Amino acid sequence: MTDMTDMAVARDAAPTSLDYDVLVVGAGIGGMESALKLGDMGYKVLLVEKEASVGGKMILLSKVFPTLDCASCISTPKMASTIHHANITPWTYSQVDKIRRAADGTFTATVTQKARYVDIDSCTGCQKCEMACTVAVPDQFNADLVARRAAHLTFPQAVPKKAVIDRGGSSPCSFACPAGIQAHGYVSLIRSGLDEEAFRLVLDATPLVGTLGRACYAPCEGECTRGSLEGTLPIRRLKRFASDKHDASGNDNGLARPESNGKRVAVVGSGPTGLTAAFQLAKLGYGVKVFEAAPVAGGFLRLGIPSYRLPEAVVERDIENVTGLGVEIAVNSMVSDPAALKADGFDAVLVATGTHRDSGLGVPGEDRLGVMGATAFLRKIKLGQPVDVKGKRVVVVGGGNVAMDSARVARRLGAASVTVAYRRSREEMPAHHVESVDAEKEGVEFRLLLAPAEILGNAQGGVAGLRCTEMRLGAPDASGRKSVEPVPGSSVTIDADVVIAAIGMAPDTSMFGGRVPVEKNGRLSSNKATCQTGVEHVFAAGDAVNGPTDITRAVGEGRKAAHQIDAWLNGREFDNWDDRLPVVDKQAVLARQKAFTLSAPTPDGMQLEPAPTDFHEIEAPLTEAEARRSSGRCIDCAVCSECGECVAACPVDGCIDLRSTAKTSDLKVGAVVVSTGFKLFPADLKPQYGFGKYQNVITAMQMDRLLAPTRPFNTVLRPGDGKVPDRIAYVLCTGSRDKQVDNPLCSRFCCMYSIKQNQLIMGALPLADVTVHYMDIRAPGKRYDEFYEQAKAMGANYVKGRVADITEKPDGNLLLKFEDIENGGAITEAEYDLVVLAVGVQPNRDAEELFEVGELQLDEWHYVNEPEEDMNPGQTNIPGVYVAGAASGAKDIADSIVHAGAAAAQVAAHLERTRPALPKIEMVPA
Amino acid sequence: MSEQVVPVDAQQVFPREEGEAGAQRRIGVYVCHCGGNISDYVDVERVVQGIQDNGDVVVAKTTMFACSEASQQDMEADIKANGLDGLVVASCSPKLHTYTFRGVASRAGLNPYEYTQVNIREQCSWVHTDDREGATHKATALVAAGIGRTRNTVPLEPMVVDTTPHTLVIGGGIAGLRAAIGLADVGLKVTVVEREVAVGGWVKTLGKMYPHGKDGRVLIDTLVSEVKKRPSITVLTGAEVVGKAGSFGNYRMSIRVGGEGAGTIEILVGSVVVATGFDNYTPGDGEFGFGSEGVLTLTQFKEMVDAAKGPLAWKGRPVRSVAYIYCVGSRNTGGCSNAYCSRFCCASTVQTAVQVSGLDPSVRQFHLYRDMRTYGKFEPLYTEARDAGSVFLKFDNDEPPTVAMGANRKLTVTVRDLLTERTELALPVDLVVLVTGMIPRANQDLVDVLKVPKGGDGFFNEIHPKLRPVETTVDGVLIAGACQGPKTSAEAVTQALAAVTQSAAILKKGYTEMEPLVAVVDADACTACGDCLTTCPYEAIKMTEEGERRFAVIDAASCKGCGGCVSYCPENAIDLLGYTDDEISGVIADMIEVRV
Repeated sequence: MTDMTDMAVARDAAPTSLDYDVLVVGAGIGGMESALKLGDMGYKVLLVEKEASVGGKMILLSKVFPTLDCASCISTPKMASTIHHANITPWTYSQVDKIRRAADGTFTATVTQKARYVDIDSCTGCQKCEMACTVAVPDQFNADLVARRAAHLTFPQAVPKKAVIDRGGSSPCSFACPAGIQAHGYVSLIRSGLDEEAFRLVLDATPLVGTLGRACYAPCEGECTRGSLEGTLPIRRLKRFASDKHDASGNDNGLARPESNGKRVAVVGSGPTGLTAAFQLAKLGYGVKVFEAAPVAGGFLRLGIPSYRLPEAVVERDIENVTGLGVEIAVNSMVSDPAALKADGFDAVLVATGTHRDSGLGVPGEDRLGVMGATAFLRKIKLGQPVDVKGKRVVVVGGGNVAMDSARVARRLGAASVTVAYRRSREEMPAHHVESVDAEKEGVEFRLLLAPAEILGNAQGGVAGLRCTEMRLGAPDASGRKSVEPVPGSSVTIDADVVIAAIGMAPDTSMFGGRVPVEKNGRLSSNKATCQTGVEHVFAAGDAVNGPTDITRAVGEGRKAAHQIDAWLNGREFDNWDDRLPVVDKQAVLARQKAFTLSAPTPDGMQLEPAPTDFHEIEAPLTEAEARRSSGRCIDCAVCSECGECVAACPVDGCIDLRSTAKTSDLKVGAVVVSTGFKLFPADLKPQYGFGKYQNVITAMQMDRLLAPTRPFNTVLRPGDGKVPDRIAYVLCTGSRDKQVDNPLCSRFCCMYSIKQNQLIMGALPLADVTVHYMDIRAPGKRYDEFYEQAKAMGANYVKGRVADITEKPDGNLLLKFEDIENGGAITEAEYDLVVLAVGVQPNRDAEELFEVGELQLDEWHYVNEPEEDMNPGQTNIPGVYVAGAASGAKDIADSIVHAGAAAAQVAAHLERTRPALPKIEMVPA
Repeated sequence: MSEQVVPVDAQQVFPREEGEAGAQRRIGVYVCHCGGNISDYVDVERVVQGIQDNGDVVVAKTTMFACSEASQQDMEADIKANGLDGLVVASCSPKLHTYTFRGVASRAGLNPYEYTQVNIREQCSWVHTDDREGATHKATALVAAGIGRTRNTVPLEPMVVDTTPHTLVIGGGIAGLRAAIGLADVGLKVTVVEREVAVGGWVKTLGKMYPHGKDGRVLIDTLVSEVKKRPSITVLTGAEVVGKAGSFGNYRMSIRVGGEGAGTIEILVGSVVVATGFDNYTPGDGEFGFGSEGVLTLTQFKEMVDAAKGPLAWKGRPVRSVAYIYCVGSRNTGGCSNAYCSRFCCASTVQTAVQVSGLDPSVRQFHLYRDMRTYGKFEPLYTEARDAGSVFLKFDNDEPPTVAMGANRKLTVTVRDLLTERTELALPVDLVVLVTGMIPRANQDLVDVLKVPKGGDGFFNEIHPKLRPVETTVDGVLIAGACQGPKTSAEAVTQALAAVTQSAAILKKGYTEMEPLVAVVDADACTACGDCLTTCPYEAIKMTEEGERRFAVIDAASCKGCGGCVSYCPENAIDLLGYTDDEISGVIADMIEVRV
């Protein structure tokens, strides 16, 4: 035993002022008791709890042995006293990252108050956000028996009664969207039948809701976690569903013209970047005018994408979202000197002119009649200008999406044949997989590993064919694509009347005549993060800066440009418009989900003809039933979907802020109490008992929830089919006294809680038979054995012998195989309706993470060690660090409370011993 | 510091302004579902309907959990918004939540003594689960009675009493010694009173103790040397507590000291820690062969094992075999009358068996048990004993083992073993060890002095095992160690430190607030007949003179509010604050008026 008057912790060391006398880690029953008693003694206590409510596990229980007091009735006064105590500062939803011991014997604790996204001072606990939340995930506080919302109160008796929004990060779908659209959010809204809200959520990001619902290549779907199960959700088509529903409803889009802020912005180019930027700036009150060189607005949406994929009417409706805010769009208006627009009263100018110039093939014969660029070809079709391909043999050179569009448009125009010639193999084709497959279904022929070498002519100056060089695949290049090299001496000719070159697009900057800076590659030059060009009031964004991308990236560019222009015009620092949380780990999401109902993906809805003849839309919309079913397959990867319903529902302005962030502080404390409690044994680690596989095998914590006053089903019934169980079995020592699961220890309270539940069940279900399969009944405490005798007298049946294994019958009943030791020891089988596994205790390894590795000594079973348990209970190996409750080993509630009281005495003695020079803490009456 | 008495007289009861009888009150009434505990058996909505038309009721509501933070906030808001001057919560026992809702009242600016708790759970829903109609009627009547009381409440202020920073520890065993050190370390003065001539208790007699193998004698020596380092601790051995007077925070304790300077001394203390330990169960003559040669209690056997330097011998003969019979004197085993489990003995026995195997691995050891209760981290000891060769046989309490002395003076234990198909086994053994448990100390004199209640098992009773585990119904008198119930040495130490914490929580502030629910004398009505003096068990009433006038006066700090004097006074000159005649009349009047 150490000398208890040891002054090794130098009394002479200059006392440093402390933020708190004591840090108590964990606000379960042990932590609360220590904090309360230390507070009563006059010490200032910081109590840190990782959950959003204090109370630990006890508050979740039904009643407690042996008094059969209601657990809530015992816990809530302690919880309320803890929160209201003048000397206790409770930080819930917070975690202690690290504790470091200083030379003077004090500690510096790094504590993070996690973002709860709800302002704890404004929240009234009204639960309106919970009602509005569209996400349901398993409720760990109901032992996963039922669901809870992402926005929720931890449990009905939570203290403090403040909501928290459970955000695990960004969902993979939302994170994948370059436009920053909350894909998870609108899926979740549609799942809840909130289609108009889904439309408005997308509209918050971009005016192009209907467009994206059709023509987006849906990077979200590529990241959908369901994709690794039975297939992705049709996220894009869900967006189209919401958009179509909105259009059909005749609702306005809910956006009022904002009050003008007096500033004006010019946007050059009306593609997705320009339109999105104009929309966002207009919402902020800017007067926006869009200049479009073409005769129609929409850029590539209107001049490139064929109408069988994106009807013109859809784009026009989307553009009304922009003009509806007062944005003026001037078509046929070429701007040659954007900077000069300042003179016309524009405070800033955004150049977003896209990529409208085709790259040439660079082969002989390119100037022949019948050779054209793909964008020029598509543009003519969209503008209704004549193009003569009917009955012609068309060869499209290239393997991108524009090549596919060109080929499929040519099919629709009645070409005799359409061939795509591509220099690599199918795998390397940059076109979206679906596009190339669909093109093939529509009768487009693919000729692969052919590079154009010469366009052969006919006598009329037209095209006779395309001579190609055969290529072969080599090693992967820097981008990961396999390189190709010509096969020497090879030559293949494809007969052709028309050759469409779809090998790339570049910005057309000729009209600027050098007045806007241009990079060597022909793209506009601007800062990628801020969009600002060398001329400070001129910004550039989108494909004109980045080269050809896709609509979502273009939309994202528009949002970024608007954000930065707004920052610049208001004299703010440029910052990152994209404040999404890091993406969640899909494997963790899959591991979290206890069971999946696999459900086949909705068919893709493409209605393709082998020889299409017109431009009608080829993709069928989702039916209402398909939309609900598809959205219902979402597994809410990040929990919160960012749908925004809670923000709308909250009666207190600014209370819910999804942008709030965690706050980390360093605090100086004089002593530490580790009261991190324990974990329950995960019952699926005993596979022979079938937990997780058989629905009617539950844990004792689940049974306690079924019996609690806040019980999820308002009665005791079995989860498999809702039947009221007649025959209930208990399997004691599940995960305890069991070397198979590496736990030789007895968990101390499972016998007692089982006996308690036996009595409560016999009260709740008077007809039920309760049988307990046990090794030893351990009722070693004041009035405990009497409590056991009482259960026996009430009719509970106790059978000595371990359960070997459990099997499920087709009706959900369970067969237990066990050794009936007291009746001859035969291996016996018995049938039950419900089996309760009396799970034991595991150490909570969080405790050791509080300190540097190896600093806090653990015992051989990984509980916090008490080296002098017999003389100094609660003392750890680190001077000034104490342990309270089950963190040092399994304890029942009464023992935990007494142990926590002892730890408080140790802390007080330590503080009195080590810091007598400090001014006396002012006593605040409790 | 001298005992400070704050007299409370009728003048200190602040009458409500305009508080003449019959004035309208503004009372808020909350009827709790208790999550079904009440509402499953009482129609709480009808209870509210039954009382909401009462002219003094301004707010009447049901609530899912009245004690929840949200409901508390709701009540606070109602009190402020409606200017309530009375609060009634109908929920559970006032034992649980009186302070909770007084807190609500205080935070909302309402005097906490304007609050009445009505118990419709323990006293209604739980006992009338078969009669929803009747239970609803009764609950309504009880709530009405609560309103009747509240209509007549007056604001009261708690009495503030300075406390003495000194604790008396009764008992110098391991719990008492450790408590003394702990108390000294948090800055309190300590006096330890030990009845025996030396401190150390039972642990001083023990050698190796489980689970850490520490020697009990060494532990006590260490504690004694720690005590000696602390000048603020006084140890009185051969001494006994013989008297207690005064009140919470300032008890005057009389201690009879023996030896030199014998006599009775008096000390003033703020709190008392009772750590008087336990006695060992002594089997009756013939109980499992007790009294026969070779039949020992665990205590006797453990002493022998601790003393052994080599293989065990009994009366000069080597011990080759031992049978342990568990639960002797516990769990009603073999007809004994103690119902409780003694908690420590299973682990103690297997640890002793491991020790025996260590001395001589060839000794055959049979353990005749009922349930092996090596709980928690003691389980590996049980495994170790089995690994070392101990054999465990389980007996049925209906068929306990028998011990017989054969003609050859050899002991035979006969047991029907449940683990081997109830085979009857006769085990010839050299020694039989009766695993005896703990029994409460025979110290009725002390109990009479302290007035600390005992439970059915004879051990001291805490107020509540979870809410107030070391406190007793006598304020400031705490219990620690095995006097509260059987436990291990380490557990006794843990509880001792919890009692230190509770003492410090009471005394470190330097003052305490006491309930003003005490009796007061109307000096004008008092005729100084002196009858009341005979009724007070707390010696709180004295006669006093003021000029010509003689009358009784009650020391508020000593008065426990029992009301004995109130009913006895022939002049009706005494009233009990919080339970005044007006309040009780209001209770009765409103209760009988209820029609459902």
